[in-house]
Amino acid sequence: MPRLIIDDLEVDVPKGSKVIDAAERLGIMIPRFCYHEALGSVGACRMCAVKFIQGPFKGVQMSCMIDAQDGMVVSTTDEEAVQFRQRVIELLMMNHPLDCPVCDEGGQCLLQDETVSGGHAIRRYRGKKRTYRDQYLGPYIQHEMNRCIHCYRCSRYYQEFSGYRDLGPLQIGDRMFFGRFSDGKLESPFSGNLVDICPTGVYTDKTARFKVRRWDLHRAPSLCNHCPLGCNTIANAHYRGVMRVEARYNQDVNGYFICDAGRFGFSYSNGGALHEKRPWTPRIQGSDVSAKAAIAKAREDLDNVAEKYGPGAIAAVGSARNSLESQCMLGKICRTRGWRGPVFFTDPAKLRKTRSALERLDGDIAVSLREIENADFIVIAGADPLNEAGMAALAVRQASRKQAPIVTIDPRPLFLPCDFDHIPAAPGKIELYLGMLISAALAKDSTGFGKEAVDFYSALVAEKGKSEVPAGIFSLAERLGASQRPVIICGTDVTRETTPSFTADCVRLLRLAGKQAGLFYLLPGAGSFSSALLSGTDGEAFGDLIGDIENGLIKALVVVESDPFHYYPDRVRLERAMESLELVVAIDYFPSSTVSRASIFYPASTIFETGATYVNQEGRAQFARPVHHGGVPVWGGEHPPRVYSNSIPGGDHLPAWKALWEIAGSTPDTGAADISPGEFIPAEHAAFEAFGSDNYPVDGIRVLQGKAGLTGNWNSRIEESSQRPENAEPLELLMVEWMFGTTEFSAWSDSLASAIAEPYMSMNSKDACRAGVCDGDRVSLELDNGTIEIKVSVSDRAAEGVLVIPRHQSLDWRKMKDFSVRVLPGKIRKI
Amino acid sequence: MPQYPQVLFKNRKPDRVATLDEYRESGGYQALEKFVGGAVSPKEIISLVDQSGLLGRGGAGFPCGKKWAAVPESGAFPRYLVANGDEMEPGTFKDRILLHVDPHCIIEGMVLSGYSFSASKAFFFVRPSYESSAVILERELEYARQAGFLGNNILGTDFSFDIVVHRSGGRYICGEASALLNAIMGKRPNPVKPPPYPTEKGLWDKPTVVNNVETLACVPHILRNGPEWFKGLSATPHGAGTKLYGISGKVNIPGAVELPIGTRLSEIIEEYCGGMSPGSEFKACLPGGASTRFMTREHYDIPMDFEDLKKIGNRLGTAAIMVFDQKTCLVGATLNLIEFFARESCGWCTPCREGLPYMRDLLWRIENGEGKEEDIPNLRRLCKEVWNSYCALAPGAAEPVISLLDFFEDEVRQHISEKGCPFHAKADH
Repeated sequence: MPRLIIDDLEVDVPKGSKVIDAAERLGIMIPRFCYHEALGSVGACRMCAVKFIQGPFKGVQMSCMIDAQDGMVVSTTDEEAVQFRQRVIELLMMNHPLDCPVCDEGGQCLLQDETVSGGHAIRRYRGKKRTYRDQYLGPYIQHEMNRCIHCYRCSRYYQEFSGYRDLGPLQIGDRMFFGRFSDGKLESPFSGNLVDICPTGVYTDKTARFKVRRWDLHRAPSLCNHCPLGCNTIANAHYRGVMRVEARYNQDVNGYFICDAGRFGFSYSNGGALHEKRPWTPRIQGSDVSAKAAIAKAREDLDNVAEKYGPGAIAAVGSARNSLESQCMLGKICRTRGWRGPVFFTDPAKLRKTRSALERLDGDIAVSLREIENADFIVIAGADPLNEAGMAALAVRQASRKQAPIVTIDPRPLFLPCDFDHIPAAPGKIELYLGMLISAALAKDSTGFGKEAVDFYSALVAEKGKSEVPAGIFSLAERLGASQRPVIICGTDVTRETTPSFTADCVRLLRLAGKQAGLFYLLPGAGSFSSALLSGTDGEAFGDLIGDIENGLIKALVVVESDPFHYYPDRVRLERAMESLELVVAIDYFPSSTVSRASIFYPASTIFETGATYVNQEGRAQFARPVHHGGVPVWGGEHPPRVYSNSIPGGDHLPAWKALWEIAGSTPDTGAADISPGEFIPAEHAAFEAFGSDNYPVDGIRVLQGKAGLTGNWNSRIEESSQRPENAEPLELLMVEWMFGTTEFSAWSDSLASAIAEPYMSMNSKDACRAGVCDGDRVSLELDNGTIEIKVSVSDRAAEGVLVIPRHQSLDWRKMKDFSVRVLPGKIRKI
Repeated sequence: MPQYPQVLFKNRKPDRVATLDEYRESGGYQALEKFVGGAVSPKEIISLVDQSGLLGRGGAGFPCGKKWAAVPESGAFPRYLVANGDEMEPGTFKDRILLHVDPHCIIEGMVLSGYSFSASKAFFFVRPSYESSAVILERELEYARQAGFLGNNILGTDFSFDIVVHRSGGRYICGEASALLNAIMGKRPNPVKPPPYPTEKGLWDKPTVVNNVETLACVPHILRNGPEWFKGLSATPHGAGTKLYGISGKVNIPGAVELPIGTRLSEIIEEYCGGMSPGSEFKACLPGGASTRFMTREHYDIPMDFEDLKKIGNRLGTAAIMVFDQKTCLVGATLNLIEFFARESCGWCTPCREGLPYMRDLLWRIENGEGKEEDIPNLRRLCKEVWNSYCALAPGAAEPVISLLDFFEDEVRQHISEKGCPFHAKADH
């Protein structure tokens, strides 16, 4: 470890650290613009100049460009260095407009900070300021090139880090321009990070622009709950509305960045531009009532049902949107009152897949996003990182930038922002090809293999002869064989039920062969990890309840932050079933179909309004702090409000767990006894033992419950998967997620509307030929309960035998008798 | 006028390019036949060039043999050679003349240097305004291929080497070696700071040597006649070889001449340029292109060699001598140069991108009567501070400015006190 002296303070730093980092360790923040930890050092802005007094370098040098070395003596306060830094500021301010009072970056502007701290106040330069024409960059990013200080952060982030090409530097000298070749929407779904990374106001958040000054914002560390990754964010609120979301640094999770769905998908919490889309008030049979009345009525009606039919006639329905608190409260209520459930998943198969994933995930093999970035070989099996968990795609790109080969085995014609080899594979073939790849990469006599491993390996090898071999798999296997830290990313959406467990076995085999192999599952939602744990080994999904609703065994539903209408594939059947219920109590913040049908509705707080714990897909529990109390935002409608009251309009909402407790938990005779999450979470599952009142809230610990070792029953699985008649007609219909347009968040966040692309159906060219359709055709697809119309995208990169359709909000796709259906090619008709 | 031996300009014709046959008659391609034929090992070539004391003619004067030797023996293949014919330094035109005099001299030099470090491909990087040179070069390359001096299995050996003419996008920064490599690779031509050096990781991360055109043209002559002969060509004991001087400005016969390196400035101007123009007295010159310091009458007799100019704090640069007379306003001349540099900054780093336009603004104000006393110390500090920029463009650009203040501060002050250019005023009356 090099030891050096900076400003008379001694510091030891890891080898390879730059002097600028070494200073930061001492709490000395050397001014910088172009340097950013995620982007590395390039020495463009020359702002981080310091004086090197002793050591291999002498004089004024850039601290971001020089590795800290033993014996260096560095001064950041040396006269010459300070004067030079002042000059750099003067040079940057030559052309920078003095429009801070009307600039949205004001108050959070690095250039502003450095200008003031550098002491540059009097303008000496007598020339005119340079001006540019700004570009339209889409609905999220406002371009204001006059403010540019040419630090290259944007183009380095956009092109090098995130892998998109449509924004970059043009021209030379002092005419340098950062933008697109011509006006247009930015292509990257990670474009919002430009706002965070720009040290001045060239790129500002269009959705928040001109609404509030930075220093007037309530800010709190929050989380993104759009996908299972649990990216860390900072929520910003003002006048009872969430104004914007920024990325918050977390070394192990999202690093410095977040995706656009997470950044701009918050407006549901404000109820949209006119605040009408969020149900703010408690309701009984569709009429607004007081909070007290709603709770009393819900309590009474539920008691009546329990009395009449027994408590088992009441079922509780949660979802992956629930926080851990709500999920545990659901569990506690069901247990203590004898209700059915809780169910969190809609599709029983997805519950089983998620559960089998958790059973295999232990602390050794579960990897974080950061570890994906450092992998030297990545296999993506039945997962679409970009659409199912955006930041995972960015992590994969970082590995690819370090020369890691990337292989995808998937039915979809995937896109990733990096080079990768794609092996099209119908869901039933994923395990086969994955097994082929793994077995070809390893030698049978690997020293770490016990009998079980040898058997597994032999089974994999035996499979090889029984199927066609995808092109290129052996050269990829060779590179996998040479890797040290391979990672397999496995999905739980389009995969077979056996795939998560099989993938875990493959990772174990790689580890037994001496590799630091890791496993990364993509789960179906922010709360899916904990909900699968809490579902227990014999837990049900909503799909399992519907029969009992129909035959009258279930008479009442308590639906907490959940909307079966969004996920259930047979809308007609679901509607009929819901009609037959005597009571539906809904607690939610979305104006969902379930909410509009509920007999009693109670408004729930969003993640911005309540402290909420989420456990991400690698078992990491994280806590989102409340940023404000919320209520109908003040802006947008009449301002100032003309109706005065002593309560907050729309302020009755409660954290879902608390509303549930009021309705069904506390006993009437003791009054509404208070309870805190630390008192009820630990009892619900062994994984949450550490969540007691002394520790709550828990942030950053992993609660993995999986067990190491091979399962031992892979033989049958492999035979089963290879025996599936994959290529026989009919085609398997796969419903998939898109980053924009398929989630509940995107359905209720009008801020995401402009990012949503038109849905299309992907299919292989041979299948398209058989069905008589071409790329770009519009077709009607006949499903069990009717038809849908959709555009077709034909590609050889889509697997044969499958149709891929997004669960798109503009598509009326819920016309299927089951979660997985097959379609005869004759049912596809060109229109 | 003493007649010095002509080496590079031996085949100079008043009206046309020397042909392949003419080049061969004058001894051309003998070195290639001897060395690529296998008489001597490639390493020996490097050692001979090193002994000859050949310094790079592009401006920096780095020893050519040392550069070649920097390609690691274990380095990856394929390896590349780049002939830098970008020649965008203001006042410099020697490479263009050389290309129009004897292109095969350059081609042979490229094959030999490529052979010395086992390169298989070369790029001839030429500025777009030299289209006529590029056309000549492409034509002569084809003749060389037909004669077996270039292409696959040169002269029947197992050495294959070809040259591609690459036209630059036409920016000054493209002449900077690392930016040039980016340009060839189709990237934005920003300079890149070593390490790694291009000789280890250059084009597509493979070992790459970038040499100036004139440097490469010296190689066949050194190999044919020996390093001692080359050293003996110099007018000074420490120099080596001849040098192409390109003289412009207030002299009677401007142009490019080949003279022993270290020929005195006074001799160059008086003997080979026909003296100063009528009515002109020598006031100052830039000895090696626009990024060198003004040199005053005091050094009129200086030997024009790398060493001697270094001793007085100046640089030989590209040996493009721009001569100014007593009637020329040096503030205006410097402003002209800075306008070029400010325009040609690549925009990568702040001191260059913004600092040069700042200098341009200050000089413009001084020249146009808006100068203030405090502009002088400000300019001085700026000149010093641009030394902290990323590459050598801005420090080079600052050279004429700082030397203007060092040697002609009175002239600058006169502009400020008289609120205008004294030279213009005189012209008006």
